[in-house]
Amino acid sequence: MNERELLEAVGRLPKSIEPPRDLWPGIERRLGGRRVPWAWLALAAAASVAALLVARNRWGPADVWEISRISGLPRVGQAPLAGVGALRVGDSVETDDSSRAVIQVGDIGRVEVAPGSRVRLLGANATDHRLALDVGEIYARVSAPPRLFFVETPAGVAIDLGCAYTLRVDASGNGFLHVTSGAVEFEWGGRRAIVPFDLRLEIRSGFGPGVPVVVDAPETFRRALDSLAFGQEQGALPRVLALARRDDAIALWHLLARTEGAARLAVYDRLTELVPLPSGLEREAVLRLDRGALDAYWNYLPHSVWLKGLKKKKGR
Amino acid sequence: MTDDVVRQAQAGDQRAFREIYRQHAGRVYALCLRLTGDAAAAEERTQDVFVRVWHKLGSFRGDSAFGSWLHRLTVNVVLMERRTTGRRERRVAPAADPAVLEGAGRESAVGLNIDLERAIAALPEGAREVFVLHDIEGVPHAEIARLTGIAEGTSKAQLFRARRLLREMLDR
Repeated sequence: MNERELLEAVGRLPKSIEPPRDLWPGIERRLGGRRVPWAWLALAAAASVAALLVARNRWGPADVWEISRISGLPRVGQAPLAGVGALRVGDSVETDDSSRAVIQVGDIGRVEVAPGSRVRLLGANATDHRLALDVGEIYARVSAPPRLFFVETPAGVAIDLGCAYTLRVDASGNGFLHVTSGAVEFEWGGRRAIVPFDLRLEIRSGFGPGVPVVVDAPETFRRALDSLAFGQEQGALPRVLALARRDDAIALWHLLARTEGAARLAVYDRLTELVPLPSGLEREAVLRLDRGALDAYWNYLPHSVWLKGLKKKKGR
Repeated sequence: MTDDVVRQAQAGDQRAFREIYRQHAGRVYALCLRLTGDAAAAEERTQDVFVRVWHKLGSFRGDSAFGSWLHRLTVNVVLMERRTTGRRERRVAPAADPAVLEGAGRESAVGLNIDLERAIAALPEGAREVFVLHDIEGVPHAEIARLTGIAEGTSKAQLFRARRLLREMLDR
């Protein structure tokens, strides 16, 4: 085949290929409502948890998870995993440069363990599915009420709010979280970040979460934000505020709680310039970080997701 | 695609949005499948694209055709995911079920199409992306360089390599 024949063949390829199954139901689930009162969501979540607990009581606790080899030869403890095996609390999973595995998280989701990773199972209760990612990368996809699945890292803990995400940690404990569906909360030492779909969060050992930013944010903004968020350059704030777009409102919303005094006022002014404060919310309440006011404001930000408000619940 | 359907979806009408999905799913899935070379990943990316479209519909001003806007967004979603999870390997053999490809194929060229689709899926990642964007989607090298973060010369070299590899695979 010469190049002309190849290009003619390429020209005959169909521009459209129907997916082998209807993808709409999965899309529809992820769309949610644009404005759903959080109280109803909280009730729905509580009902789901109750249903889950009833199911668990009926069929017994799923304290042993299934793990399967995808490629190479992952190890569970010291034993090589050739096919499908069991993962118990206290067990560790290690993958070398060429091996991968997938863990079934009880009956609520699955976690792919990428090459070069070490993962430990810390808890497998009906209300606390907990892994530790010591190093490497996982891709988690969970379909369950919020706050049932946790991943501990050297930089803090990722708390599932009903989502899919990639979490990576390097040998020094630094890394990132990229949410591809739903939302994730990340917490370390009282410092929190809520990361909705389409945002990415840098994490640092000994510091915790930085500030989440949309994945297609300009590089200059991301660099300035990281310098500020990780305390490397306090003088970066004017640059961050000048570069911020409406799409970056969630980053500024997080900065309200990371700043004080005149700096917080400057963040507030820029944020409300990009997304005006909704009627009924008071400036002073936001500036004193009133939880209700911040949550209400969050609901109006671009990229915030329908799970908003659930972050107030205490699930542990 | 009528402007009305887009406007209704922009106003939050999920039925209108489903109509957008129905009309464009095949085009989006085809692009995702060819860019990823992975049927399972293509399904995930297709879903990601439409969820992202839903959230970004407000920013569509009608300056370009909706299809062009959707095409750019699809490419961005796939490339961004690849950048984020660049080390992730393919989990499923590309288009393992020939019916996936036959479904849209033209009768006279089905056999060659399947061989070509499989050969494209088997290309190294960088070469495949450039080939799909340039030779199938008609994206110029300068734009590919901007989208993928490689130099324009690298894009041309990857295209040369992709065409050579494809010819070798199809001649076997």
